[in-house]
Amino acid sequence: MNMQSVLSSLEKTNLRYSMFNDFLKNGEQGNSKFLFSAKDNLTSKDFETCSGSRILEGYHPVFDATAIAKMREAGGKLIGKTNMDEFGFGTFSTNSGFGIPRNPFDLERSCGGSSGGSACAAAVLEDHVSLGVSTGGSICCPASFCGVYGIAPTYGRVSRYGLIDYGNSLDKVGLLSAKASDLSKYLPIISGIDEKDPTSCVQPKLDLKKEKIRNIAIPKEAIDGLSKDVMTAFQSSIDTLKGMDIDVKFIEMPALKYAMPAYYVLATSEASTNLARYVGMRYGHQDGDLSLKFDDYFTYFRSKYFGDEAKRRILLGTYTRMAGFRDRYYAKALNVRMYVINQYKQIFNEYDAVLTPTMPFVSPKFEDISKMTPVEAYKADYLTVPANLAGTPHLSVPCGYDGNGMPIGMQFVTDHWKEDLLLTMANEWDHTFDMKRAEVSL
Amino acid sequence: MRSVGLIMDREIIERVARAAHIALTEEELAKYSQDLTDILDYFKVLDEAPDFKGSGVNPVEIADILREDEPRMDIAPDDLLRDMNTYDNYVRGPRLS
Repeated sequence: MNMQSVLSSLEKTNLRYSMFNDFLKNGEQGNSKFLFSAKDNLTSKDFETCSGSRILEGYHPVFDATAIAKMREAGGKLIGKTNMDEFGFGTFSTNSGFGIPRNPFDLERSCGGSSGGSACAAAVLEDHVSLGVSTGGSICCPASFCGVYGIAPTYGRVSRYGLIDYGNSLDKVGLLSAKASDLSKYLPIISGIDEKDPTSCVQPKLDLKKEKIRNIAIPKEAIDGLSKDVMTAFQSSIDTLKGMDIDVKFIEMPALKYAMPAYYVLATSEASTNLARYVGMRYGHQDGDLSLKFDDYFTYFRSKYFGDEAKRRILLGTYTRMAGFRDRYYAKALNVRMYVINQYKQIFNEYDAVLTPTMPFVSPKFEDISKMTPVEAYKADYLTVPANLAGTPHLSVPCGYDGNGMPIGMQFVTDHWKEDLLLTMANEWDHTFDMKRAEVSL
Repeated sequence: MRSVGLIMDREIIERVARAAHIALTEEELAKYSQDLTDILDYFKVLDEAPDFKGSGVNPVEIADILREDEPRMDIAPDDLLRDMNTYDNYVRGPRLS
């Protein structure tokens, strides 16, 4: 499949998978060297940007996010904005205001979240790379569920300028692709200092020295609660890694127990303030009654256009920041965050990487997701949240398939700024692992 | 300290929703009260976490990067106002009182 045929079949492909919010219709390849897509929370001049939310419907940004601008400068053509959980709030991409992306291995199952559309595009389009964004696991989770490679770099490695914030201290722009080599090809392009984003400005250069991971630690706490299929695939992958001359040891990492609640406190606290700007004046819908008092006007828009999970997280984050509760939740979560970072640092004194499965189960069916309580859904993130809380780079690679052919992934975490180790691992794993592509029939 | 289940009562959730500028229906009030009670109940595990020395807002050190205080125009004002509800270049908004 060449680039032109990808473009000509985009509409048909999207009808089947609902992976794009907005995309090129009847597009031409022009002089572009490669095609890419971007998660819908990255602003772009030529597409509507809604971050999966109805409250932003009709928002046409006047500038490109830095990551998108850099991909264009490198010769890339942006072909569409990928569907996602509203503002990144979810693990299954079922919280979008614009339909639900479908898993390419089974249309009745989730692509994962919140970069579900990006993972789907990476899985079904040939020679395609997609920009994703991770706050608590939103690149690795969908990469795992869709059987592709995904990398979330160190916090600050890629500029967040033009990213619609979820949690400012957690959000990272990264990449998803079916080809491991694409991660090494495109991560250097989007990385680097950007004066428009001060959090991107402190970093050593991304140096591709092809350093290898020599030894790996597996926290025992991460193994509890895995489905049988995930456990089997993970054990088999450990054997493969040992065969690659990598030393693998099981360790204890007690801080992991507290990472998930600490993450949800911090992420929702930050989200509740970030989303305060969506009141029907500057972005998206502006169809309210201007004779209303401003409080009533703002409340009208927010109540009407925010989805269920967005409301839940705004309420939760507002609560955990309120006087009287702040010390118990927000301050404690900040404290736990340092505890988690410290434990990673201690492990990285002895080991090059921490390894776990990416998700505790394969992608669930939509009917099962609809029965989950919020706590059950949040618990699904317990393996991806710790590295995000610590701001450490992490990589998901496909590592097996269950009896129904659904992909299983595992996640490597390295120390801050050590993406080189992950990129080398991705390429080595690609040569070792027999990866299956989803059948794409149109 | 009261149990978390009691903390997230109707009065609190109404106060939180008002602060967040979200109007809740009766059905939503009941649903989110229950959801937040369950979630906060799960968060009680944080009480067991050891007190670690220090706390941080960012996961990596962020230097204080300041640019020169020179006026410049990155985006044309007309572009910024393009999709906004304006009158004579003023943004229309709701009543303040």
